[in-house]
Amino acid sequence: MRFLGLVACLLFAGSAFSQTIKIGVITDRVGVSKPYSEPATEGVIFGASEINRRGGVLGRNIELLIEDDQSRPDISAALARKLVDQGAVFILSVSLSPATQQQQTVTMEAKTPQMTPMNSADYLTTQLQNPYFWQTGPLGSTQIATLLAHARSKNFRRVALITDNSELGQAIAKAFRGTLEKAGIQIVADEVVARGATTATPQMQKIRAANPEAMFLAGVLTAENVLIFRAYKELGVKFPIHSSYNLSVPIYETVAKGLIDGITFVDAYDPDKPEAKAFEAAYKKATGKDSVNLHGYGYDGIMLVADAIRRAGSTDKEKIREAMQQTSYAGVMGAKGMKYSFPEGKRAGYDPNGMVVRVYEKDKQGRVVHVGQK
Amino acid sequence: MRDFLELAVSATASGCVYGLIALAYLLMIRPTGIINFAVGEWAMVAAFGGYVFLTKYELHYLLGMGIVLAFMLVVGWVSERIAVRPLVEKGTAILAPILALLGVLVITREIISISFPPDPLPVPYPFELQHQKYFIIGVTAVVFLGFWAFFEKTLWGKSFEAVALNRRAAALMGINLSRVTAFSFAGGAAVAGLGGLLVSPNISAHYLMGVPLAIQGFTALVIGGVGRVEGALIGGLLLAFAEQLTIRYAPIPSGFAQGVPLLFLMIFLIVRPTGLLRARA
Repeated sequence: MRFLGLVACLLFAGSAFSQTIKIGVITDRVGVSKPYSEPATEGVIFGASEINRRGGVLGRNIELLIEDDQSRPDISAALARKLVDQGAVFILSVSLSPATQQQQTVTMEAKTPQMTPMNSADYLTTQLQNPYFWQTGPLGSTQIATLLAHARSKNFRRVALITDNSELGQAIAKAFRGTLEKAGIQIVADEVVARGATTATPQMQKIRAANPEAMFLAGVLTAENVLIFRAYKELGVKFPIHSSYNLSVPIYETVAKGLIDGITFVDAYDPDKPEAKAFEAAYKKATGKDSVNLHGYGYDGIMLVADAIRRAGSTDKEKIREAMQQTSYAGVMGAKGMKYSFPEGKRAGYDPNGMVVRVYEKDKQGRVVHVGQK
Repeated sequence: MRDFLELAVSATASGCVYGLIALAYLLMIRPTGIINFAVGEWAMVAAFGGYVFLTKYELHYLLGMGIVLAFMLVVGWVSERIAVRPLVEKGTAILAPILALLGVLVITREIISISFPPDPLPVPYPFELQHQKYFIIGVTAVVFLGFWAFFEKTLWGKSFEAVALNRRAAALMGINLSRVTAFSFAGGAAVAGLGGLLVSPNISAHYLMGVPLAIQGFTALVIGGVGRVEGALIGGLLLAFAEQLTIRYAPIPSGFAQGVPLLFLMIFLIVRPTGLLRARA
């Protein structure tokens, strides 16, 4: 209820102050990315309300223009155009990576700053040379490098890789594959569980037959990942599982109860970090609900935008672009002491050493067992 | 050998779920000719019902299951009254109720999407994890035997068959077409719901689970044929075995195995559009 109040305040702010700064948000309310996009968007809304409560940016309130692209790239570009036409000076993309990529075709042409605070696909800042786009979600390659750094002590030589057939799952698997091969680790089984499958038994049998020392999980579809864990338990296999950041979504604590004990996963969130603790307390106080790491992505996203506009001293898009490129900001996400920045013209701003590895203890996300890639 | 037996149980359980969805299609197609793609969404509704009654309120499994299936009967009946009967009574082409039911599909998904959190939700097993597949197989066997006996041995079942063979002649013989249609939709929804409820402990209840089930069930129906109840089960089992054996043993990347259902669908539509089992004369 209190959260609805926040939304109402933001909408009121939008109508009451003609001099608001319009920030576009493209999210997914009904598509495959909804489980991630929804909390991230809540984080954006909460962040905007905090900013407005403290007097706004440059003396003006932030007005969010939120659009739903259903994670569909074909719709997404049209929505980016709509937001540009409505006067958005910045677009935050909290939908799926392919949709974010499609939005870039518009923001590059319209010279409108755009950022994704949560997408992890490596190609977002490399395929298009769009100086108006930034990515602060941890890259897939950073995830695997962090996981590998943690696993290095185990001296793995033969591992299995399993993912789903979503675009993001495939992209993360590709990053995993590249990094594993580069490290000289043999992938003895490379399996895919299709969206909508009713079992992962045949894939897990193939992996068991290949006798790996560990299994890397790159899938991002919760239901399919749970199928994998069930097959793992049913077949009684024992090799350790190392997962992408997808397992950092707290839903696994309930939906995969009894199946996840001991699984290590890479995360962009350290619950002991002071900024994270402050965020959790503020979010709880304002909304009455507990926050999760996905809220932090959205919160950091809007805070980074506000920080750039503040430093630009104007809502001129070119000045915002220049300010954004000079960012140095410690947010909720990342290991202790991590700052977002875009050095040497890079536009992927998550510190490669800013991820942590955590372990599930029983059915709870447990302690940090490793930090960074060293 | 151990691998094959594990796989056989797994494929049989998956095939049973596909078979139940195919049976739901069949129950509606036989007397009305209407293909109702909303069966997948009905399975999803029942899965969410399982979450509400079995996870949230922690009812006894059989009681929760009974409530969900009763609710699904109502869902099917209401869908027929709202989206099918008015169009049939106006004498519209068969495409009109099919499109109206696609509307039901979208509305159902949106209602669920808005009403529940976006994450997959847990539905408990009636027994231990290791026994769930046997439970699915057992329940499916009972359902198919029941429907087989209904169509083969009872007057009511014969009236369904009569409507399927010739609606006009059946009406002239005093069979109430509206009632048969309403029962077929209510029964179809309950069977689809049962499929969703049985599979939900494995795949969780989530708002995108309906479409894959609808596709798998439809493919099973095309393989088995719409003429006989047992065709739905045979189609489901064949599809599941083909999928899982391909993934396990075919020397191709497992990602390619996703094409197996579509390959089957195309082959059967081209080579044997009536499916494996033809209707009795």
